[in-house]
Amino acid sequence: MKFEKWVLTFFLLSIFCIFSVSAMASDHDVAVTHDAGHSAVTEHKTAHESATGEHGAAHAGAESHGHEEAGHGHGHINLGEVLPLWSCTPFACMLLSIALFPLLAPKFWHHHFGKVSAVWAASLAIPFLIVYKGTAVHDLLHIILADYVPFIILLWALYTVSGGIALKGTLRGTPVVNTIMILIGTVLASWMGTTGAAMLMIRPFLKANDYRKNRTFMVVFFIFLVANIGGSLTPLGDPPLFLGFLHGVDFFWTFKIMPHMLLTAAILFVIYFILDSYHYKKEGLKGAPVEEGEKEPLKLEGIYNFIFLGGVVGSVLMSGLVDWGEVNTLGIHRAVQDWVRDGLLIVMGILSLLATPKRLREYNEFTWFPIVEVGYLFIGIFITMVPCLLILKAGAKGELAFLIAVVKEPIHYFWVTGTLSAFLDNAPTYLTFFNTALGSFYPGLSEAQAVPLLMTETSIYLKAISAGAVFFGACSYIGNAPNFMVRSIAEEAGTPMPSFFGYILKFSLLYLIPTFVVVSLIFF
Amino acid sequence: MKIKKILFPTKFRELAFNSLESLMELKETGLKEVVLTYIIPREEVGFVPFGGYMKDEEERLREQARIRFEDWQQSLSKHGIDSTIRIEVGNPIPQLYRIAEEEKVDLIIAGRKKRTALEKVYVGSHTLDLIRRSKVPVLISKYMVRFEWEGELITRVNDHIFTKPLFATDWSKPSENALKLVSSFKGLTDKVMVTHIIGVKISKNLDKSELRRIERESKERLDNYCDILKKAGLKAEPHLFSGRSSAEIIRVAREHKATMIVMGTTGKDRLREFWLGSVSHRVAEMSELPVLLVP
Repeated sequence: MKFEKWVLTFFLLSIFCIFSVSAMASDHDVAVTHDAGHSAVTEHKTAHESATGEHGAAHAGAESHGHEEAGHGHGHINLGEVLPLWSCTPFACMLLSIALFPLLAPKFWHHHFGKVSAVWAASLAIPFLIVYKGTAVHDLLHIILADYVPFIILLWALYTVSGGIALKGTLRGTPVVNTIMILIGTVLASWMGTTGAAMLMIRPFLKANDYRKNRTFMVVFFIFLVANIGGSLTPLGDPPLFLGFLHGVDFFWTFKIMPHMLLTAAILFVIYFILDSYHYKKEGLKGAPVEEGEKEPLKLEGIYNFIFLGGVVGSVLMSGLVDWGEVNTLGIHRAVQDWVRDGLLIVMGILSLLATPKRLREYNEFTWFPIVEVGYLFIGIFITMVPCLLILKAGAKGELAFLIAVVKEPIHYFWVTGTLSAFLDNAPTYLTFFNTALGSFYPGLSEAQAVPLLMTETSIYLKAISAGAVFFGACSYIGNAPNFMVRSIAEEAGTPMPSFFGYILKFSLLYLIPTFVVVSLIFF
Repeated sequence: MKIKKILFPTKFRELAFNSLESLMELKETGLKEVVLTYIIPREEVGFVPFGGYMKDEEERLREQARIRFEDWQQSLSKHGIDSTIRIEVGNPIPQLYRIAEEEKVDLIIAGRKKRTALEKVYVGSHTLDLIRRSKVPVLISKYMVRFEWEGELITRVNDHIFTKPLFATDWSKPSENALKLVSSFKGLTDKVMVTHIIGVKISKNLDKSELRRIERESKERLDNYCDILKKAGLKAEPHLFSGRSSAEIIRVAREHKATMIVMGTTGKDRLREFWLGSVSHRVAEMSELPVLLVP
C-alpha cells in the first residue's frame, strides 16, 4: 500500500512538473500570442458589435441582468482565443481521476482525493497565473466566487436542511409501497436536491425492503429516479441546472423539460413496477402473511426543516427576480442579490443545525464527510475547467472549434452532453456544453446577452443540454454525486450492488439507454 | 451501585491492552463481564468519493479487530472475567451510546486522545461528547501520560488507579451518585480523599462571616461523606480548599499523590458548557490522572 501511495504521488507530482515546465517553456509563444490576443480583442469587439446590432432589441434587457462577462470588457486579452488545447489537460486528468481512481485504487483515492484534486488544480493554476498574470487571477477568482462558492453553499444548505428530516416508521416494501416511495423521492428531488431527497428516502426504503431477497434492482431504480431524473425541474434539483441558473438561465425555465422528465420517469416507473411485481411473486411473498413484529407508525420528524427548505427555494428564487446592482469583490463584479442569496442559504443551514435535535441527525446517520468530499473535488474541477470553458466560449476562434462544428443538432447536444455526463460528473459537463452552445450560436456576445437568446430562440438546444446532463447522470456511479452516496449506504446495509461495469451493462444499457432513445426521438 | 459489566471501546492504539488489564482489579468489587467494542468509523470504509463502499476493507478491519479481541479474551478469561465482542460500523459516539444501553453496562471506559508532542489536553472532542450524553459513569483511562510538573517533563503510568482516589464533590445529585459508586470500591482502595473546593464564584462576593459559615457547613458535609465511606469499609479523609475549582482539584490530586479523580457530572451540553463552564469536563481534559465521571 505504501509503495502504491508513493508511486501515485510521484506520478501526480511528475505530471504537475511537466505542465509547469511546458507552460514556462511556451512563454515565448505566449508573448507572440499575447499580441495575437490583442488583435483577437479587436476582432472580438467587431464580432460583438455586429452581433449586438443584429440582436439589438432583444439584448437591451439582458444587459442589465448583472451577470458578469468573464474576461470581456475589462481590457483583458480574450484568453479563449489564445489558449492551447493542451491547457485543458488538467481538467481531463481531474475528471479521469474521478472516473478511474475509485475503480483502480479505491483505498488510495479515499484517503488522498483531496491531494489529487489539489495537484490538478495547482498544475493548471500555477503556470496559468505565471503566464497570464492579472487576466488569469481574474478568471480564476471569477470561477471561484461566481460559480464554486454559490454552488457549494447551495449543496451544503440543501444537504444540511434535508439531513434534519427523518422518515420513521414500519413500512413493508411491496411493489406498490416501493413505487410510491420512489415517486415521493422523485417529486421531492427537484425541491430539496437529488442528494437531499436520496438521503431522506434511501434508509427508510432499504429498511422497508430488508426482508426482500432481490433488492439490487430497487436501489438502482432509486438512483435512476430519485438521485437523478427527479431533479430536472428546478435549479435546486441537480447541480448542473444550478450552474445554468448562475449563468443566467431563469429559475422556472427548467420546467420546460417537464415533458421530457415525465416521459422518462413514466417509462422507468412502469418498468420498475413490473420488475418489482415479478420478483415479489417469484420470492413467494405475494399473499404471504405479514410477519407480526413491533410496528412503529409512519411519521416525519424534523418537519420544521421544510420551512428552512422553503427559505432555500425562496432565496434562490429571489436572486433570479430582483436586481440590486453589483458589488466589486476582489475585482469580480457580482450581483448584490447573489451575495444576499448565499448569505441566506448559510443562515437556513445554520438555523436547521440549531433547530434539529442531534438524535434526528444521528437517526439519519448524518455525516459531513460526503459534502466535504464534494467541496474538495469540485474546487479542483472548477479551477481546472477554466481554460476549457474559455476556449469553448471563444466558439469558432477557439481551439475547440472542431467540437462546435461537430455538435450541431439538438440530438447531438443531448447525446454528447449525456454520454459525457454519464462518465464524468454532470455539472462540469453541463457547463462545458452550455458554453459550447453559447460559442456556437452567439460568438462574441456576452453571457448576459446570449443566455436569454439561448432560452428563447434556441431553447431546444438548452433543453437537450439540460436533459442530457441530468438524465444521463444516472448511467453510472460517477455520473452524479448522490449515486455513490446511495450505493455506499445500500452496501453498508447489506444490499449487494453491481460493480461499476455491472451497473452500466445490466441496468443502464438495458433500461436507461432505450428510454433515452425514445426521449430523443420524440423531443429532439 | 456496583460495577459488574463494563464497555471497553478501543481504537487499538498503543497500550490499549495494558489499560484494559489495569481494570481487571475491579473483579475484587464484582466485575463479571467486559464488552470489547470496536467501532469502524463510517468514513473509513464508506462514501468513497464517486466510488461507494469498501466492503473488503470493512471485512479486513473486522477480522483484524476480531483476532485482536480474541487474544484479549484469553487474558480476560485467565482473570475469570467473561467477555463479548461488538464490532460495528458507524458514527462512534452514538454507536457506543446505543451499545451501552443495549448491553446495560455499568461503566464505559474512554481512552485518552491520541498522543501529541506537546500534551496539554488529554481528552478529545469525541470523549467529551460521550461524557455529556452518557447515562452511566465514564472512566477516562489515561494509562500513560506525559506532563509538565515544576518545569520537568514527567512520564506517568496510571495503574492501580483505585488505590487512592480523590473524590471531589460539589454536593450535587451526581456527586451523591459518585459517592455511592466510590463506596463500592472496598478491597481496592487504601484511602479516599473526599474533597470540596469553595469556588471563586461563590467566595468572591461574600463577607468573612458568611464565608466562615460556608466553610463550617462544608466541613460538616465532608465529614458526613467520610462517615458514609467508612461505613462502607473504606478509609476516608476530608479536604477543604478554596480557589478555582478545576485548577485546585488538579493541584490537590498531584500534591496528595492521588491515583485517580472521581467527580459527579451534570452532562451540560456544548452551549451551556460554553457559557457556564464545566468543572468536571475541565478536570477530565487537563488532569494527567484517570478521571471517573458519574452522571
